[in-house]
Amino acid sequence: MANIKNVKRWFVVHKWTSLICTLFLLMLCVTGLPLVFYHEIEELQGKTHTAPPMPEGTPMASLDDIIRAGQQQRPNDVVRYVYWEEEEPNLVMLSMADSVNAPADVYKLVVLDARTAKVLQAPPQDRGFLYIMLKLHTDMFAGITGKLFLGLMGLLFVAAIVSGVMLYGPIMRRFNFGMIRRDRSTRLKWLDMHNLLGIVVLAWMLVVGITGVINTLADVMLAMWQSGQLAEMVAPYKDKAPVSGQLSSLESAIRTSREAAPGMEPSIVAFPGTPFTSRHHYAVFMKGTTPLTSRLIKPALIDAQTGELTDMRTMPWFVNTLFIAAPLHFGDYGGLPLKILWALFDIATIVVLISGLYLWFARGKASEARINRILQSEAVTQTALLN
Amino acid sequence: MKSNFFQLWGWPLVLAGLTVFGLLAALTGTGIWHWLSWITLSVPVVTIVFFVSRKQAERE
Repeated sequence: MANIKNVKRWFVVHKWTSLICTLFLLMLCVTGLPLVFYHEIEELQGKTHTAPPMPEGTPMASLDDIIRAGQQQRPNDVVRYVYWEEEEPNLVMLSMADSVNAPADVYKLVVLDARTAKVLQAPPQDRGFLYIMLKLHTDMFAGITGKLFLGLMGLLFVAAIVSGVMLYGPIMRRFNFGMIRRDRSTRLKWLDMHNLLGIVVLAWMLVVGITGVINTLADVMLAMWQSGQLAEMVAPYKDKAPVSGQLSSLESAIRTSREAAPGMEPSIVAFPGTPFTSRHHYAVFMKGTTPLTSRLIKPALIDAQTGELTDMRTMPWFVNTLFIAAPLHFGDYGGLPLKILWALFDIATIVVLISGLYLWFARGKASEARINRILQSEAVTQTALLN
Repeated sequence: MKSNFFQLWGWPLVLAGLTVFGLLAALTGTGIWHWLSWITLSVPVVTIVFFVSRKQAERE
């Protein structure tokens, strides 16, 4: 009866992988719920910006003027990143800090109108509800350790899902899909709920679980890209002194990048000295314009002294994987209806987790008897089939 | 005869297929693809609502 042994083995795997990860997964599901609506909540809080209406086709201001306007706004800070958002093409965001080496999460955002180079009302930067949710969800305020730990919990979650599917077969073999036995014990009712919801949201849980694990490796992948491709690209500049004084024109750096990558748009520019480039280059990250190609990034390195293109390459596969996996985890790529569906799947997952926990608490002897019953009926089926 | 493969795995496979299609549809296209994504991803949700709200489960 190898089959019975197998079922027992999968049951042990399911029990232990679930037990270890369930509380963290519950936390992830609960904090993830408001994060799905991050943009909408920020809008409600009045933290988003819209560019004032102007006639269609109003020409864009020079990016050099935009940088200058940002510098005037915060004379003691330096620009580290310039970026654009797809939803608001008429805005330019400058991420500034008191030094290029300041910690990544210490920055001031300056938002400008891309057509007039006028600074718009700076958004309030309080670290409120969403910030706490995001930190809990990504690293539990424990930095890279917390992040990788949550990645490990995600792996256990995936193992729990797989072992759960392996148990679904033997348990449901003699029943119809969707059966919920309400007239027996509470435990049986919740076992059926657990099985039904688990199998229905299976694919979503797997996709969001696996892409979540991939996201936890973002820092590792960034480090790999820095020490690999980026280092290769800037190798000729290794022994040069960092750029000093006036940087070359950003406007012309963008023009050069566009010419080098036809059909692509700049999404973010890293200024010299930041972790995403060398001490000598603007890194202009070009992206495609369709939903899928906009996830495939091509960095163009522009010499920030001469303004010339040094190198441009396609990102390595693992970075592409990361960028494509990200939206599949966030659910932010298909409008509000997709976000609402995302929330419903998330709630279903919460029910699966809580019912699983309940089943474990309510288990004890009764459940062992139950498992044995399943195994016995399994054995009977087996014998019947063999005869 | 009760336990043939498709009686057991038919619905789970259909739902998983629809989910994966829906997740990828919105990622690779806009417009009609968004609608297809919303429709296919609604099926698992409706399935849950249907079976959970059903008055009495059928018995085998």
